[in-house]
Amino acid sequence: MDIQQSLIERINLGDRAGANALLDAWASEYGYEHLLTEVLDPTLLLIGEGWRSSGTFTLAQVYVAAKVAEDVLGKIAAQRKSSSEGRPPKGPVVIGNIEEDFHALGHRMVGIFLRTDGWIVHDLGNDVPAAVFVDKALETGARVIGASAMMMTTALNIERLREEIDRRGLAGRIQLAVGGAVFRVCPGLADEVGGDGTASDALGAADLFDRLWEQSVRDEARA
Amino acid sequence: MNSMERVRATLAGRPLDRRAIAPVLGLYGARLTQCPLEQYYTDPAAYARGQSAVRETFQPDVLCAPLAFASIGAAFGGELVFLDTPPPNLRRPAVQSVEQWDSLVLPDPDAHPRLLYFRDTIRLMAAEHGEEVPIAIVIPIPADIPALVMGLETWLETVLFNPAGAQSVMDKIIPFYVRLINGFFAAGATFVVMPCGFASPAIVTRDIVTRFTRPILAQVLAQLHGPVVLHNVGAPILAHLDLLTGLPSVVAFIVDQRDDLAQARRVVGPDSVLFGGLDCANVGQMTASEVEDRCREILEERRHDVRFVLGTSGPDVAWGTPPENIHAMRKAAVSLGKIEV
Repeated sequence: MDIQQSLIERINLGDRAGANALLDAWASEYGYEHLLTEVLDPTLLLIGEGWRSSGTFTLAQVYVAAKVAEDVLGKIAAQRKSSSEGRPPKGPVVIGNIEEDFHALGHRMVGIFLRTDGWIVHDLGNDVPAAVFVDKALETGARVIGASAMMMTTALNIERLREEIDRRGLAGRIQLAVGGAVFRVCPGLADEVGGDGTASDALGAADLFDRLWEQSVRDEARA
Repeated sequence: MNSMERVRATLAGRPLDRRAIAPVLGLYGARLTQCPLEQYYTDPAAYARGQSAVRETFQPDVLCAPLAFASIGAAFGGELVFLDTPPPNLRRPAVQSVEQWDSLVLPDPDAHPRLLYFRDTIRLMAAEHGEEVPIAIVIPIPADIPALVMGLETWLETVLFNPAGAQSVMDKIIPFYVRLINGFFAAGATFVVMPCGFASPAIVTRDIVTRFTRPILAQVLAQLHGPVVLHNVGAPILAHLDLLTGLPSVVAFIVDQRDDLAQARRVVGPDSVLFGGLDCANVGQMTASEVEDRCREILEERRHDVRFVLGTSGPDVAWGTPPENIHAMRKAAVSLGKIEV
């Protein structure tokens, strides 16, 4: 069995220690610097695809995957190496839960998977007002803001963030990624609240942010 | 038939004058009475007034006591935040780690104001409506309560990586939970609806349900003094529904709008009541005629299923939902007329 399948098996069982042991053994032979690109990233991709196509992965399994990814990032950092060694860092981007939303788990997992993919992530936490999102994006040079909401009532607050981006003349330059449980229940809600894009789960965030970042660059070049 | 007779007949599998409908309209009562939500979710009389308005406006066949999970977390010491249109939420959970549970003093269901709020509201609602309309209270299953006390992430981490710690937390929660729920029954709740987060296929694996959630649920349900309805928590539940059958006190299941109702019926068997319908979020997103058409489709499909109730899945019907969309559910049920056995 290859390393990716073995890792998925450990994650399915919720076996964080076993997954780490597997990765440590691989890294001792090939080096931690290759672990992200050659093992973890492709495995997370497979997990995401499996989750989306068959619904066979649960929040618990994705959470285990996120914790294993976090463990790996920690080990790399402990070796005084960049978490994105071998590839230039991406970003920065800004994420958080929209104003009045306190369900942090979704955006925290998005943050972990983005960092694993090499992004510099500024996590503003819960209950973030629209102006704070935009101020932070301008301060850091972020081209993408990720706003999360779990419930319909709080998802509608994302419209205020859309308005704030537009009011400051930043539409196109700053792309708005939206997500959270309610977006899976209500197709079309991402458009309704003014999102530039959404992903069906945390594992899809890295692809989405890649697309939106490129869109921002294209839009700015056209302007 | 009045609503109580209709729901009892549904439970017994007897003929009905029309299909029972049960949208979750706890929050909506505040909109109807223009009550600020902080008052609505702390003053039993204010909440009860809201439900009287709900009954007068929509004639649902079930009235809902407060759906305010965050208030349970607040009773443990969490910081509550009141918002303009959704129910209250928790800004900060009471404890940050499993170790803090050792010294945590659990709130007294008979004395804590946040918990007495639920019980006193049920008492008021039961006194006014209880002869004619069933009163339901929605409280998460016992395995979900720690998430309200320590946050979902910390609780998930405990269940996944520290099974002994998770069991020790549940040993504290179970007696508290049984007292809390039996207090609701004593106050006049007709049944308790339990959203099953830690049994949902969106959240946990079958292994976790089998090894952790179900044994706790079985232990608790055996000690309760009234009927229980298990709820999908706003996500499809069909893939785990078989793991929730055969439990004591359970008389009904509320499935998600994305679950196949015929398959759900096969899994739960002929004797349990099945609630199905639109997700509460979608009721507000559709037009009234779309709501009515979809409800008709569902009711047509379940025409021969005498133990079916048209409800809403997920949490409360949202504040901004047009009233005509809620009326549309009842209209669909009335238009299909009698249900024969």
